[in-house]
Amino acid sequence: MNTMERRDFLKLSAMAAATAAAQAKAGVERTALHKDAHGIRWDKAPCRFCGTGCHVKVGVKGGRVVAIAGAEDADVNKGLLCVKGYHVGGILYGKDRLTTPMLRKEGKLEPISWDEAITVIAERIYKNPQKFAFYGSGQWTIPEGYAAQKFIKGGLSNNHIDPNARLCMASAVTGFISTYGVDEPAGTYDDLDNASVVIFWGNNPAEMHPVLFSRIVDRRSRGEKVTIIDIGTRRTRSTEFADHYLEFRPQTDLAIANCIANYLIENDKYDKAFVEKYCNFRIDVDDKTRDLLGKASTFEEYKAKMSTYTLEYTSQLSGVSVEKLTMLCETFADSKQLITSLWCMGVNQHYRGTAMNRLLHGIHLLSGQFGKPGAAPTSLTGQPSACGTAREVGTLAHALPGGRIVAKPEHRADCEKAWNMAPGTINEKPGYHTVLMFEKFCTPTAEGGDIDTILVQVTNPGQTLPNLYKLFDAKKDLADKFLIVSEVYPTATTEIADLVLPAALWVEKSGVYGNSERRTQQWFKQVEPPGGAREDVWMTIAIARKLYDMGYPGMKDKDGKFIFSYKDEQGNEVPIWDYAHFNDINVDKALYEEYRPLTHAKHKNVAPYDVLVNAHGLRWPVVQTKDGNWRETRFRFTEADDPFVKKGTGLQFYHSTTNDDKAQIWFCPYEAAPEEPNKEYPFWLCTGRVLEHWHTGSMTMRVDQLRKAMPKAYVELNPKDAADKGINNGDLVKLTTARGEIVLPAWINGRAQPPRGSVFVPFFDEKLLINRLTLDVTCPVSKEPDYKKCATKVEKYNPTEKQPLP
Amino acid sequence: MVDRSQPVSRRGLFGALVRPFTRHLKERPVAHPEEIPDADTPRVAIIQGRFCLAYQGGVCFTCSERCPEPGAITTQQGIPTIHADLCTGCGICHDLCPAPVNAILVKAKPPTQTTEPSEPS
Ligand code: SF4
Ligand code: SF4
Ligand code: SF4
Repeated sequence: MNTMERRDFLKLSAMAAATAAAQAKAGVERTALHKDAHGIRWDKAPCRFCGTGCHVKVGVKGGRVVAIAGAEDADVNKGLLCVKGYHVGGILYGKDRLTTPMLRKEGKLEPISWDEAITVIAERIYKNPQKFAFYGSGQWTIPEGYAAQKFIKGGLSNNHIDPNARLCMASAVTGFISTYGVDEPAGTYDDLDNASVVIFWGNNPAEMHPVLFSRIVDRRSRGEKVTIIDIGTRRTRSTEFADHYLEFRPQTDLAIANCIANYLIENDKYDKAFVEKYCNFRIDVDDKTRDLLGKASTFEEYKAKMSTYTLEYTSQLSGVSVEKLTMLCETFADSKQLITSLWCMGVNQHYRGTAMNRLLHGIHLLSGQFGKPGAAPTSLTGQPSACGTAREVGTLAHALPGGRIVAKPEHRADCEKAWNMAPGTINEKPGYHTVLMFEKFCTPTAEGGDIDTILVQVTNPGQTLPNLYKLFDAKKDLADKFLIVSEVYPTATTEIADLVLPAALWVEKSGVYGNSERRTQQWFKQVEPPGGAREDVWMTIAIARKLYDMGYPGMKDKDGKFIFSYKDEQGNEVPIWDYAHFNDINVDKALYEEYRPLTHAKHKNVAPYDVLVNAHGLRWPVVQTKDGNWRETRFRFTEADDPFVKKGTGLQFYHSTTNDDKAQIWFCPYEAAPEEPNKEYPFWLCTGRVLEHWHTGSMTMRVDQLRKAMPKAYVELNPKDAADKGINNGDLVKLTTARGEIVLPAWINGRAQPPRGSVFVPFFDEKLLINRLTLDVTCPVSKEPDYKKCATKVEKYNPTEKQPLP
Repeated sequence: MVDRSQPVSRRGLFGALVRPFTRHLKERPVAHPEEIPDADTPRVAIIQGRFCLAYQGGVCFTCSERCPEPGAITTQQGIPTIHADLCTGCGICHDLCPAPVNAILVKAKPPTQTTEPSEPS
């Protein structure tokens, strides 16, 4: 062993010992942990990818993850994983992992030390704290998001923090809040085991939430009957399993939902007792205003507005036959059915995303399809901790932890008190949401671009922002703008970054995630990150500490103590900002337990850390029972299950926006899409994910099996459109929108069979950035962009060239 | 404390899940590590249901999507079937199958089949 190797070896073994010590400090015996006959040490972790939140067993030998298996005793997946999940361990071992901080010098990224990197960041923030923005993620762990939140909203009195979840579930949040007064689904995945009808609204769970999909379809193989209704703008792999398929013209889902409501009222088939007892009606303030709370409406006014949406009118608008619409309406009229609606990006990434979310809740409330096992309007999330970190920790530009918002003085005061900071520390003005943040960053300072530094953690905006030329690439020409990116692999974002920080990934760090069904799940660090890669939460704390050392006043609390000061068991402060001491205590537990009381105000009580250690996640609200056990909640707002519902009420919407324990049934009109096909751009363009890759493929493209199974992006075309243009499978096709163009191979029908006049392109391929073409217009309430529809031109390109198909 | 001490019942698992896969990152065991006959021998691909993600209640369409021979692999409710008469034994499906344990075997065609004139020319 030469000296270099030996030094590395010693360093590694010292760190491994520190990891073990931190784990021992968890304070509870860990039931998931065991060693098998092959010397593999098994532990648990949630899957790194989607919002389903499956649990995997992680097998480690010789400091490497060597095996992955589904966790049989995990309620979410009961031993099953999807093809990505089985390969999740492989994402750690791509050949091009980033292992050292790099600063751009004369156009080239050059290695620098961590200390230099942290100093560069701290100095930029120190100079212009209000021009700094933090761009985070629904893949941030809860402690990471919480630390970022406390650092910027508390430490810097700056609200320019937003997660990529803005591009993903912001419309679901506004939908829940304007309906129930509090965010996140009432139901859980358990409803999928009980529903007699499952409806996919613009949703393709076979590819996006495969294990949930298996959970539904598996019931059929056990002889149970479950009717699947697929309502979408293109056939998908899920359609193959559906009993009914309703294909609508993009954007007219609004009319379809209204049609159901109108049908129920017109035919006197709505659940009168339920509506009378538990619901109010609500409409927009006027024809133009689109805000979060609207105004109260009478039933008559609601009914009158709805009356436009007759079967005939809706059929004409949407292209769905009156027959199929009647079938759908009759399903909601049949009180013997138990209906669960599922939706994800098709409804959220929608120019009227908030409206569409409200309407789905509305039809479930009108029909009384709510509050019993199997009957629930359930929105799914795409990211593993969109709920946990973006929504519950409130890392959005307008939010604070536990469902609080910066606009409310009492909410700011709660946090200032919890953080031991002076009253008035937190700024009352919401920060920039994602699209605005990057717009300001890409605008010259002299022209009002008042964001000059962005720190990006755990996400890849260079590939996922809409209208990339405008919102990302334009930064390249602005010398005074500074992009800092913490990443695990080179990506479209690191490509133009000024400073790149190598990050620890998944089980190279400890974490806590919150999945789509309010389930909080914890895991421990199981292997060392490669080279100089470090935890994101450490980066945030180290930057804060550097600012503290430089004398930045916000980094001290009221008593002059550093805002991230945590003690070991002997009561001594541990310098966790010094990486050599980061693992001396369980920083995750310290942050999580500091955050936990903040979840109580809105009855989102998450479970204690030590309880999570030996659970495959628990669904909040989690309360302690008399015998000392911790009990999770499967259906919120129902007396039968939710501990916070008053006895005798049946159902109680205890955070009602109208303070009368009632939910709001909204009327929202159909409104045309912001950009529809026209003479110049005659096709609809839709984008989305594929089964094999997760989001931008930065992780899954490093796994051989997944990359081989789906190596590159393509454009799906209808066979008739293809024939019209003389396009065959594999021919190159040029797509052009008002924002950019791209050339990719054609795949006729593809996985989806897009209807005539529409094309689909997946967004995982970093070499074929479809988001250069997408539209950056957002839902007026949620500020979430619409990636599912814009107008494009389709042309055959370079007729002699052919490319292999995926 | 949450009680996780109870053994997991078969019923609690996915019905179709015979046994959970373990994915070993380094060695990727082939179901029957017999040698794949070389390309000169007439060959045919066979799906081993117990290793196939689709057969096990999961979702996968790699082989049926990527097979170059029209009709050689068809699917029903997501489950693939290889039609030996149309399969040329090219082995693409075997190379691309992303299951934790490769679910596709490429074997020498039994003599009775090689004489059938059903191979597309
Ligand atoms: S990607 Fe999603 S569905 Fe697949 S194993 Fe992971 S959490 Fe489960
Ligand atoms: S590629 Fe492999 S796992 Fe996938 S369906 Fe085919 S045989 Fe099954
Ligand atoms: S061996 Fe080739 S022809 Fe036969 S099923 Fe597989 S991919 Fe198709």
